[in-house]
Amino acid sequence: MGQAKWVSSRHSRKKNRVIPGFGLSMGITISMLSLIVLIPLLSIFVVLSGVGPADFWKAISDPQAIAAYRVSLICALAAALVNALFGTILAWILVRYRFPGRRILDGLIELPFALPTAVAGIALTTLYSDNGWIGKLLAGIGIKVAYTPIGITIALIFIGIPFVVRAIQPVLEKLDGQYEEAATMLGASGWQTFRRVVFPEIRPALLTGFGLAFARGLGEYGSVIFIAGNIPYETQIVPLIIMSKLEQFNYGAATSIALIMIVFSFLTLFAINFIQSRLNHAAKGAE
Amino acid sequence: MYVELKDVNKKFKGFRALDDVSFSIDKGKLVGLLGPSGSGKTTILRTLAGLVHPDSGDIFIDGKRVNDVPASKRGIGFVFQNYALFRYMTVFDNVAFGLTVEKKDKKFIKQRVNELIGLVGLEGLQDRYPHQLSGGQRQRVAFARALAPNPHLLLLDEPFAAIDAKIRKELRLWLRETINSLGITSIFVTHDQDEAVEVADEIVIVNGGRIEQKGNPADIYKSPATPFAARFIGESLVLDRHETLHGFETYSGYDRAVIRPELIQIAKHGKQPILHASEDGIVEDVFFRGSLIEVHVNVKGMRLIGHRSPEEDPLLPGEKVSVLIYRLYLYNEDKVHLAENVRLKDENTVFI
Amino acid sequence: MNLANPAETANRVQEKPRDPGKAAKYTLIGLGVAFILIMLVLPLITVCVYALKQGWDVFSQAITDPYAIKALRLTLLATVVAVVCNTFFGLFASWAISKFHFRGKQFLTTLIDIPFAISPIIAGLVFILVFGRIGWAYDFLQTYDIKVVFAVPGIILATIFVTFPFVARELIPLMQAQGNDEEEAAALMGAKWWTIYRKVTLPHIKWGLLYGVILCTARALGEFGAVSVVSGHLRGKTNTLPLHIEILFNEFQLTAAFAVSSILVVTAIIILILRNIVEFKGRKEEGEHVR
Repeated sequence: MGQAKWVSSRHSRKKNRVIPGFGLSMGITISMLSLIVLIPLLSIFVVLSGVGPADFWKAISDPQAIAAYRVSLICALAAALVNALFGTILAWILVRYRFPGRRILDGLIELPFALPTAVAGIALTTLYSDNGWIGKLLAGIGIKVAYTPIGITIALIFIGIPFVVRAIQPVLEKLDGQYEEAATMLGASGWQTFRRVVFPEIRPALLTGFGLAFARGLGEYGSVIFIAGNIPYETQIVPLIIMSKLEQFNYGAATSIALIMIVFSFLTLFAINFIQSRLNHAAKGAE
Repeated sequence: MYVELKDVNKKFKGFRALDDVSFSIDKGKLVGLLGPSGSGKTTILRTLAGLVHPDSGDIFIDGKRVNDVPASKRGIGFVFQNYALFRYMTVFDNVAFGLTVEKKDKKFIKQRVNELIGLVGLEGLQDRYPHQLSGGQRQRVAFARALAPNPHLLLLDEPFAAIDAKIRKELRLWLRETINSLGITSIFVTHDQDEAVEVADEIVIVNGGRIEQKGNPADIYKSPATPFAARFIGESLVLDRHETLHGFETYSGYDRAVIRPELIQIAKHGKQPILHASEDGIVEDVFFRGSLIEVHVNVKGMRLIGHRSPEEDPLLPGEKVSVLIYRLYLYNEDKVHLAENVRLKDENTVFI
Repeated sequence: MNLANPAETANRVQEKPRDPGKAAKYTLIGLGVAFILIMLVLPLITVCVYALKQGWDVFSQAITDPYAIKALRLTLLATVVAVVCNTFFGLFASWAISKFHFRGKQFLTTLIDIPFAISPIIAGLVFILVFGRIGWAYDFLQTYDIKVVFAVPGIILATIFVTFPFVARELIPLMQAQGNDEEEAAALMGAKWWTIYRKVTLPHIKWGLLYGVILCTARALGEFGAVSVVSGHLRGKTNTLPLHIEILFNEFQLTAAFAVSSILVVTAIIILILRNIVEFKGRKEEGEHVR
């Protein structure tokens, strides 16, 4: 009897979820997610299962691909670092200072999300090519930007800046000004206050923003291909390698390299989550 | 029995929230579920409402087992702890919601809502939004909203928790009067014993997922059934060497004693008429509490708390006093015994 | 250190009252503004200047070119379908995730975020792998003579994929923060699901919903990589506006490329303004109703 009772109460719990709509909303969620995202993604593995290990290895260790990994990594890293610096400065001035045009500046931060990447790509290419407005100036002092890794980095800076600013801004807004006042009262200079008091508070957010900008930079295509110039071993990024393999109908190689990219982006996001939870943990322990 | 719980158990992730809970309530009663936070009192209320489903046990309302009746079909009005008013609806729409859902006639809804708004004294505020109301007004809206569909049973989860201390007292009286005039069976949850004593016809004391005692406030106060009830109702102190006190030497075999300020009389030294039944003590602290003076005395290394009237001669810390203890609640693991001061009885017989 | 010598500290403070703070302030503002001007504003100006370089006639010719119009139509079609589809998904997914407890909730949320984590090129690739010549659905599609890859359905699917999480991601945290009290109260009074969603939940999330729709629209309008992979670059058939721009640019028709781009620049600015208005209104209303 006890058993029967248990079963009936289990049954009634399912039936009696107080808020209605669980079955329907969950059903729609799972089916749409599967149809649009999961099943197409799984086809990567379906295709890869038809690629032998030798071919897989050949595709991913192709010298041209390895050069592309390097270009993608270095450029994404450089861009994310620049964005970490300027993103912090921008978040800081937007939150802490009042100056004319602040609201417009704030609104502009999201421009890279709103502007199609291809438009950004051709505009940056024109701007930084040898006879473009900035390119001309830089060519005068012997720096070439368009069709070099520097150009790729610039495109990735453009794409990544909102991630950092928007990650740090809310944290700074919530940060109680009293901490800083307390530090100032204790005689700390402005820089000391920032480094010792403010920076530890925004560090997790900065890391998140940095990581998102980096991950986005690794996968970015539209804004980069125009300014990159697609020179083998020099300015080919990984998405471009995949694209060119596809154009040669070499699906196996394209999919193999795609898998490497997926693994890498997940590792990046995972690493950020891990470091972040460590930081949060440390912060909680200190309280 | 109008509402009855029988052997109800509920576990949350291994935590025993309800442990064989059984009690029943008569029709038309206003009952307070009283207990410390985490005691399971809110879980009992939510189980009754159908918001929580018990692992085992039966729930009866009006003679019907309602375990498998969904929350919305149990005929219950529920006032949530933070009222859960619909923030984007006016007072009128909030109160009307339950009736709209039942697809009642528009004219009827209007009439019923206005009637309820009148009942809770919020005339003229129909078109306000919850954020434009004070805490007390929000509670009245929540109350009216719960009553609108004409429930048989009204459940209130910590109805006064979100209200300023100042108007809380006034609202308690209002709620008690309104519920009594409507005659609707009601159960409310509270952690505040004053509130329970003042509002409820009957109190159910809950602790650790179990029912400690059920009864009217005066009975529980006078004869607590469990050590927990003794300590929880009224102001109380626990003593661990009661048998050293004059008049209580003969009570042995009990672990501890609970004493209340009302059971102690503190007098200037030597001014105690029944001297041989009293103890000597030293005043440790004196606090002015408005209508009374709270005196902490050290008697044989134990701290006792008693009250004196501000009209009496003031006592000073360090002063020697006579302390007469009328009664103690003695208890073991699970038994409570009311102990009279033995010497006091002797004295009486001598005088007569 | 400074505590040990209060006199010295006091001296220093008196010597230069707030001066270093001000210098830092203007340096930082200068750096920030310069960064935004060079990195974000200058490209916008470039687009506009180059678009009008050869005069109004060339500009209007470029944007009324039949291929440009066709590309615009396809972009709008893909955007509308993606926004409708992802809003529908967002409304259901946010309800399932924020209003109920179930095992694997965190995992499900992560799965929904996948399209954000992977390169748009891979998003395009997966549809080629499903529907393309080597795809497992290819034979089936052939039988019924349906074309997905290198055709309009592929463009739409790729656009849906890359913008999939936008609405759900906006709504889930909002609905979680709001709690379930009001929904429970409504359910207790016997309200049906749709009634609760429409009357109780939706007023709370309407600005967030609009915000998500705007972000989704922006990304769908501008999507390049994923669409590029599945389009096959068939001019007049599978070209969206960004792809059309790419072709014009690669054919050295700079003015035309920038003229078409200027349409998207204007759209982007409108989207930015709308975004700011919606964010402002949402914050304001939330502030009002919460307290």
